[in-house]
Amino acid sequence: MKFRLTAFTALLCCLLLSACTGISGGGEPENTSPVVILPEGQMTQTVSYSLADIPEYTGTPYVALSDNVPGFSSGDMTTNSYEYYSPLDELGRCGEAYACIGVDLMPTEERGSISSVKPSGWQTVKYDCVDGKYLYNRCHLIGFQLSGENANKQNLITGTRYLNVDGMLPFENMVADYVKETENHVLYRVTPVYEGNNLVADGVQMEALSVEDSGESISFNVFVYNVQPGVIIDYATGESRLDDGAAADSTSGESVSYILNTNSKKFHLTTCANAGSISAGNREEYTGAREELTAQGYTPCGQCKP
Amino acid sequence: MIAIVCIDGSGGMLFNRRRQSQDRLLREDLLREAEGRTLWMNAYSAKQFKTLPETVRTAEDFLDQAGNGDLCFVEDRDPACYAGQLEGLIVYRWNRNYPADLFFTVPLEDWTLSRQAEFAGSSHEKITKEVYTK
Repeated sequence: MKFRLTAFTALLCCLLLSACTGISGGGEPENTSPVVILPEGQMTQTVSYSLADIPEYTGTPYVALSDNVPGFSSGDMTTNSYEYYSPLDELGRCGEAYACIGVDLMPTEERGSISSVKPSGWQTVKYDCVDGKYLYNRCHLIGFQLSGENANKQNLITGTRYLNVDGMLPFENMVADYVKETENHVLYRVTPVYEGNNLVADGVQMEALSVEDSGESISFNVFVYNVQPGVIIDYATGESRLDDGAAADSTSGESVSYILNTNSKKFHLTTCANAGSISAGNREEYTGAREELTAQGYTPCGQCKP
Repeated sequence: MIAIVCIDGSGGMLFNRRRQSQDRLLREDLLREAEGRTLWMNAYSAKQFKTLPETVRTAEDFLDQAGNGDLCFVEDRDPACYAGQLEGLIVYRWNRNYPADLFFTVPLEDWTLSRQAEFAGSSHEKITKEVYTK
C-alpha cells in the first residue's frame, strides 16, 4: 500500500524546508542548511547547488555532483516506503520530490494519460531532429515505474525528450531494477533547478541511495541537463528554435561514416571503443549527414561525441 | 581465459563503482555455463552469490591468475585490458539503458558469435546471452 505524506507532515516539511535552502539558480548562492531532523518519513536537505556550481553541458546527458555522493543523512534511512511532492510555487513550478522507493510503491497498473497536465513553461512544439518529433515531454520527477504516480502536477515538469530518455530514464531503470530484484528500498530525490523566475528548469538533480546495504548497490548524485541537441531553448518561457549553427555545422562537412546501435539509437564514430561492443543484430554502418541521423532520432554517443 | 561480462545498451558495465544491475536467474545461468570449469571472480562479484560451487575461485588479481580455458566473471574492469589473453567471451546484455562510466570496449566485430540465447531474468524482461569465440 502506498504511503503519501499527510497534509500535516507535508506542511511541516514545507516549513522546515523553507528554512533550509532549495536549489535555485541565479543571484547569490543561498546558504547551505544545517542538518534538520525531520519526523520519520521526511527527508533532510543538507546540500544545495546553484547553477554556477554546475558545469556547462558538453554533450553528455548528466554530470556527477559532490563525487557522486548523495546528500542524505543517516536520519533519512528508513525501510518504510513513502513519497512526497512539493507544492507548486507561486509561478506554478514543481519543487523537489522525494521518496523511499520500495516494491509496494511501484505501479501495478498501466500508465494512464498525463496530457491534462500543463507544467510550467509547457509548449507543444515539434522538430525533425528530436526523437518522436516533440521537443518537450511531461517529465516525471519520480518516474512512473518507481512510484506509480500518473498525472500528478506536482511531479511533472517540462523537460526535453533528451532529458527524459537519455538523461533521467537510465537512472530510473537502475533504481527500479534494483528494487524489483532485491525488494530492498532506495532513498530517491529529484530536484528541478530553475534560474531565477524561469518557467523551465535548466535540469534536475537526481540523488539515490540504497537503504538496506547503506549505498553499496545504489548511490549517485547527478545533475541531468534539460537540453536538446540541435535546439535552443528560452528557459524563461519554454519557447525554442532550431540551432541553425548546429545544423550548419552538421551539414557543412562531407558525408561522415558512423556506427549505429539500432537498439539504443546511439551513433558512434567508427573509431569509438563502444561501437565495438554493439551486437551484430543491433549494429549498422552508416555514411551520410549527421543531421539525417538526428532527424531519425539517433543521439550521439557520450564517449566519442561524434 | 574466457571473460564473462554484463553490459547495458551502450556497452556500460559500472556506474560510480557499482554494477549497473543484477539478476538471480542470470547468476544461475552463469554458473551453469561454468559447470565443470574453473570460474574466477573477485570478492565484489562473489558477494552477490548465496552459494558458490567448489570450482569457483576468488582473488582480486584473478585476471592475472586465470589459466587457459578458465572462465572469469569480470564486473569492475574492462576486459579489453587483457585482450591478449582472451580466448572467448560470454556477453550478457541487459537490454536496458543504465548510467555508465566504465565501458566494455572489446571490439566484438573481431570475434565470431557462436551461440546466442534469450531468457527472462528474475527482474529483467529479456536478457540476451552471446557466446563469442575467436
